[in-house]
Amino acid sequence: MSFLIDCPHCGPRNIYEFRFGGEVKPRPDENRVTDEEWADYIYLADNVCGPQNEWWFHTRGCGCWFAVTRDTRTNLPVICEEKA
Amino acid sequence: MVRLPKAPTQRIDREREIVFNYKGKPMKGLEGDTIATALFAEGVRIFSRSMKYHRPRGLYNLDGYSSHCLMGVDGEPNVRACRTPLRQGMVVKPQNVIGSPEWDLMSVMQWFGFAMPVGFYYKVFHKPAWLWKFVEPVIRRAAGFGVVDPTMPDGIYENRYLNAEVCIVGGGPAGMRAALEAARSGVRVILLETKDQLGGALNYRTVPVNGGAPAFLHSAQLAGEVLACENIRVLLSTSATAIYQSNQVTAVQRGGPGDHFRECYYEIRAKSVVAATGAIERPLIFQNNDMPGIMQGSCAHQLANTYAIKPGSRAVVSGFHDGMLEVAVDLAELGVEIAAVADGRPSGFDTAAIDRLSRLGIPFFRGCAVSSAGGFRCISRATLQPLGDGKPLRFDCDLLVTSAGETPLSQLLQVAGAKMAYDSHSARFLPVELPPCIHAAGRVMALDDIAAIEAQGRLAALAALEDCGLDVGVEMKAAGEALEVLSRPKPGLGIVRTSGKGHKRFVCFDDDVTVDQIADAIEEGFDQAELVKRYTTAGTGPSQSYLAGQNLPLVVGALKGLGPGAVMPTTIRPPIFPTGMAVLGGRRHAPVKHTPLHDRQKAVGGAMRLAGVWKRARFFENEQAISEIENVRKNVGFIDVSTLGKFRLFGPDALKLLQRVYAGDMSTVAHGKLKYGAMCNEQGVIIDDGVVTQMGENDYFFTTSTVRAANTGEWLSFHSRGEDWRTSLVNLTDAMAGINLAGPGAREVLSRLTGGDLSNEAFPYMGIRRMTLCGEIEVLVMRLGFVGELCYEIHALSSYGPALHDAILDAGKSFGIKPFGLEAQSVLRLEKGHVIIGLDTDNHSTLHDIGMSWAWDRRKTDAKTVGAPALRATEKQAHRQKLVGFKMNNPRETPADGSIVVAAGVVKGRVCSSRYSTTLGQSIGMALVDPELAAMGGALEIYTDGKLVKGRLPAVATVKAEIVPTPFYDPEGLRMKS
Repeated sequence: MSFLIDCPHCGPRNIYEFRFGGEVKPRPDENRVTDEEWADYIYLADNVCGPQNEWWFHTRGCGCWFAVTRDTRTNLPVICEEKA
Repeated sequence: MVRLPKAPTQRIDREREIVFNYKGKPMKGLEGDTIATALFAEGVRIFSRSMKYHRPRGLYNLDGYSSHCLMGVDGEPNVRACRTPLRQGMVVKPQNVIGSPEWDLMSVMQWFGFAMPVGFYYKVFHKPAWLWKFVEPVIRRAAGFGVVDPTMPDGIYENRYLNAEVCIVGGGPAGMRAALEAARSGVRVILLETKDQLGGALNYRTVPVNGGAPAFLHSAQLAGEVLACENIRVLLSTSATAIYQSNQVTAVQRGGPGDHFRECYYEIRAKSVVAATGAIERPLIFQNNDMPGIMQGSCAHQLANTYAIKPGSRAVVSGFHDGMLEVAVDLAELGVEIAAVADGRPSGFDTAAIDRLSRLGIPFFRGCAVSSAGGFRCISRATLQPLGDGKPLRFDCDLLVTSAGETPLSQLLQVAGAKMAYDSHSARFLPVELPPCIHAAGRVMALDDIAAIEAQGRLAALAALEDCGLDVGVEMKAAGEALEVLSRPKPGLGIVRTSGKGHKRFVCFDDDVTVDQIADAIEEGFDQAELVKRYTTAGTGPSQSYLAGQNLPLVVGALKGLGPGAVMPTTIRPPIFPTGMAVLGGRRHAPVKHTPLHDRQKAVGGAMRLAGVWKRARFFENEQAISEIENVRKNVGFIDVSTLGKFRLFGPDALKLLQRVYAGDMSTVAHGKLKYGAMCNEQGVIIDDGVVTQMGENDYFFTTSTVRAANTGEWLSFHSRGEDWRTSLVNLTDAMAGINLAGPGAREVLSRLTGGDLSNEAFPYMGIRRMTLCGEIEVLVMRLGFVGELCYEIHALSSYGPALHDAILDAGKSFGIKPFGLEAQSVLRLEKGHVIIGLDTDNHSTLHDIGMSWAWDRRKTDAKTVGAPALRATEKQAHRQKLVGFKMNNPRETPADGSIVVAAGVVKGRVCSSRYSTTLGQSIGMALVDPELAAMGGALEIYTDGKLVKGRLPAVATVKAEIVPTPFYDPEGLRMKS
């Protein structure tokens, strides 16, 4: 693992400065959600093989959360939505 | 040995002698020597014994690519003596021998080769089964390399992270030319060179470059230009270990006399990489090709030209490329008698070299190669034979210089993802289809003309600049055309084996793998190069792919009757250069945090122990901290709580954020009052607790547990992502010192420091006040009750921490105040039944499971409170473990934290924390247990490891406990609210 993430504030930085925050997915409306749907939301990841939208936190940098699209097969290209 | 006369290629300092120790005897070398060259000059010819057969091995390669010269140096095993500079007082020891390399008792192993067929680990000594028990230690003793010396002195290892536009690997003519070309545009260039000097093979060559200056002078001039260039950072003694994704080049540097480190690990991020890694010689395979006295051309060349050592007195040279003719001429001119020179090629020789050989009267044999060597331990004769059929010619000699041709050092490109293909013109496996932003130049691409090598270096540098976004199209076109007109790669011969036969034709020197054994492996069905490698272990030793890697696919192909290139080399994996664990670990950092009160706590007797990232006082008088506990219960004590997380949250949407992350309703938080708050994750599991208060309009202050302090900012921002709330969070954890003043006497002590009204009516339990102590220390005082007594948690700015500590000690002196530590606090809060998150809870414990459902407000659904849906879902689940309080049936028996709760031999839970309470005269504790055991008054059976009885564990030892309500002490909380 040596890929770069293009942080919206700090620019391209080494992956180990960041913490992974899981896939980007909408939080179900808690007034309507069933227990099963909630468990799916918490525990089940899509794990797509290909471009995936996900959260990253710049722990050793600006200390911000942002979403990027990463191709899980190649770790490339890593595009930050906020910047684009 | 007397060195050769002075010559300009040499790099030894004859005035400076270096004394070192080999096999317990003092020896002498010269400044500039490596360990191996000094030993060779002192007459040492046998450097090691091979791993399996313990055959003698001499000096074979001087560039760190063979295992022949592995030695123990100053306690460090497997040091490559050939490339390690000699230093004063070094202690050098041979490895893997009983006795010495010359007289190794294990050398009998070579007569038992028949008992060690290919794959013998899998085949023999297994039946009968009991035999292996006796054979295994013998094999383990015989096989292997160095032994780690635990007393080896510690060294400093560094990690460095560099950035550059262009990173060039290899400081030979291609690399230096590429560096100069790239640097001209002003970009940052990093140049890595594995040796301690730029120049590569040019440094020991004397041939003229472009009909001009000799190679060594040409390289010195180039090196001078490179070193004078400000935007080229040259890293010498630095070997690249891999190229990872997005052009991350990793490398290891060996520290020299001027460096403060023993080794340094680099991670270099470059926009573009140029690999100018060069080439080495492919070993020639013939009978006894591993004997001492047999060496590669570059080895003999360097011994003579760089170190002024005669590599032998009578030599036979057998090669397949022009470089070997050059070596023969140079050796002859230095006074080595050359018995014969053989070149396996039918034509295409460097005519100038042939002319010089004939003028020197050296017999030259075209189309011939050495077919066998012989002698007692060291070589004393060699047989040359035509490659087709023909009469063998025998020569007496003590030096045999051999090579099967050059082979590119493409390992770095391979790990970067380059494809390899067999080039039948140059008879080499060459990298093709380089990954993006990676270029190659020089001998690694099979060029051998120095001018062409430099032209390719220039072209590669321009391509690298193009990767960096520079417009260099015109220059690239010109450079490409310039390269076109220069000489192309010379034809090579994909020689596999010479004409001779024999059982000792080694393909892999590290693991003693012969041609016959590879044939046996193929016969047994392991007929793919990767399978042969694993079955025979060829190429898995310390020299990895460098010497065996290119021969293995050729041998496998030939044995299967296929042409060269039909079998491809095995996969190369990083690191491509042996890398110690220590250098990857880097500096030994053990960062700990000290609270502002650290020195004061230590001064009053605190036993400072590591607690997470902090050093905290564990206890003051003894480990049980009995007197500290009693003093808090009966009198007054204080504890350093500076590590608690402290945060200010303000802004128009601050309350929304609090409502989001706290399970409870934070809209009821009021000025001057504290509200207990618990944070859960989306699974409803409690992760943090603390208190919240309001300091002003939209301005809140809250505390977190020590361990959550570092993650709170991340947590809050994650759970407000997607909201355009305006809030600001300030982490005050390290900005404030905290002291919890606790005990029935706390009010009197505090009243000595402030004139304010401290009465229970004016400042009640769960109140918070700003105060000024001693007329100048501004503090926040909170009335809490974690330890179950009248408590004032006092927070001041860090810089006032020591003054606050002094003031409290001074004010409490007449009340018998004593500091207390974490152990005392842990017992005191246990008596109160207060949970410590992470100790009395785990990854499954929801608020309901630990009896704290009251901390959740189910009505604030609009807040999208983190964990609320899970709290609703788990509320009625009957199967969940519950946290219960228990007291031991035997009041003096205390189970260890983490002991297992059992019922009828089945695990039903665990003890979270348990202590003997002096206050209650009773062992108490809390446990997470299955719901069927959680009923009040129920009995718990707790498994304890028990003590060893006469060295044996007793049969299952359990102790009994009874579930009782918590708090164990002062259930109404009258004391903390008093």
